Amino acid sequence: MSEEIKTIQRSSSRAPKKPKKSQIPMGLGVLLLMVIIGIALSMKSSNLAMFWIFGSCFGFVLQKSRFCFTASLRDPIITGSTSVTKAVLIAFAIGTVGVTAIKYGYFVNGLPIPGMSYVVPVGPATIIGGILFGTGMVIAGGCASGTLMRVGEGFAMNMLTLVFFVVGSLIGANHFGFWKINFISHSPKVFLPDYFGWFGAVVLQLLVIVCLYIAADKWQKKKLGA
Amino acid sequence: MKEFTLDCMGEACPLPLMKTEKQMEKMEVGDVVIVQIDHSCAMKNVPEWARNQGYNVEIDEVDDGEWEVIIEKTK
Amino acid sequence: MKSLWEKIGKNEYYVAIFKNPFTYVTGAVLLAILQIALLASSGNPWGVSGTFTNWGAWIYEALGGSVDKWFYFSSEGAQNTLNNGFLNDPGTMSNLGIIFGALLATLMASQFKFKKIKALRQVVAAVLGGIIMGYGARLAFGCNIGAFFSGIISLSLSGWVFGASLLVGAFIGSKLLTKFFM
Repeated sequence: MSEEIKTIQRSSSRAPKKPKKSQIPMGLGVLLLMVIIGIALSMKSSNLAMFWIFGSCFGFVLQKSRFCFTASLRDPIITGSTSVTKAVLIAFAIGTVGVTAIKYGYFVNGLPIPGMSYVVPVGPATIIGGILFGTGMVIAGGCASGTLMRVGEGFAMNMLTLVFFVVGSLIGANHFGFWKINFISHSPKVFLPDYFGWFGAVVLQLLVIVCLYIAADKWQKKKLGA
Repeated sequence: MKEFTLDCMGEACPLPLMKTEKQMEKMEVGDVVIVQIDHSCAMKNVPEWARNQGYNVEIDEVDDGEWEVIIEKTK
Repeated sequence: MKSLWEKIGKNEYYVAIFKNPFTYVTGAVLLAILQIALLASSGNPWGVSGTFTNWGAWIYEALGGSVDKWFYFSSEGAQNTLNNGFLNDPGTMSNLGIIFGALLATLMASQFKFKKIKALRQVVAAVLGGIIMGYGARLAFGCNIGAFFSGIISLSLSGWVFGASLLVGAFIGSKLLTKFFM
């Protein structure tokens, strides 16, 4: 930061600094515990240990970068800032290329394409679910990953959210039959390569992402002038 | 040259930012606000927003997981 | 011993990796790489909220309820997951990993603090937000991770439609927030 930032005058004296206790030893303790849990899980099943490691990495990266899907959709509306939005779009672009490469690899070798359970029916339930989820995540100050991450950071509010997220999921699962019969069973699963070819789908999706990125950038310039 | 303190302890995103925005509107050029936060995301988005606005910003980590963001209204 | 931690706390590599936050773009790149690696090694991209439903089922059954007749849990896969139990569920490990990973990151930055709930409106926000997120995620086959992030990178149209709906919801949520929770 430049010099001028140091020159902010404040009349009140700074809050007296308490002698801060380093939390690094505690951090190393948690790391040790995580390694022990990982080893214990690997004795049970290497798959469990792998998911434990992936989860830990996701959590670490989410917290370090303060990555927040809620902010990516909320900040453009509330403040006009789109820096998180743009970062999410970058993740989508890289993810699209890598994931499609893996899927295509299976496809050309005549193997069943992995991860197809994430290509889900698109219809009214998707829209209603999305609107509900979008409203909830802004009110609760965190999405699914954000809630978990903030539980780890020690936010009591997000712990409460997590409990009721589970409750809401259970109610949703209870009503699932109704939605399935009335909406979801009439909704198609749309896998873009089926319509545009593998290459076409990737190019189209990347183009959409680039357009959204430019739109997000322009939005911030318009709203914030920077 | 007035100085304000904005207590956003315990507030979740995006409230610290919204409160800061509101506070800045009330202030005059040259005034300073000290935003007290303990939300790790606000510690990133409040200063970022203020810098985008062209204000002078300083962050002070006052305690474990507690920050003071000092913003000077420059325009 | 104390000065050792102080010394580490000032080390430039420690500061770069553990103390200072990563930029959003760094986070984006790392998350995308993790997604690709997870798909390559497990055959599925990242999901979070499906596991919450299983947690709900286990708690419900522990309280004496039964989900045997529920359509949602009628598939063989869902039954197997439930029968295997909490400690044998990969999704559970992944979600608990997120909590521990975030805890580790916060402690290593020496920024951990337990944050109590300050006002009643936060309780209302947490309860209401949690319930409608959970319900919405079941309708759309996932949350911001499974249905949005993983959906889009899986080249599924549902991901984009879900994303657009999230934006509409975020707009409604922002209005509610300004009106009732500020």
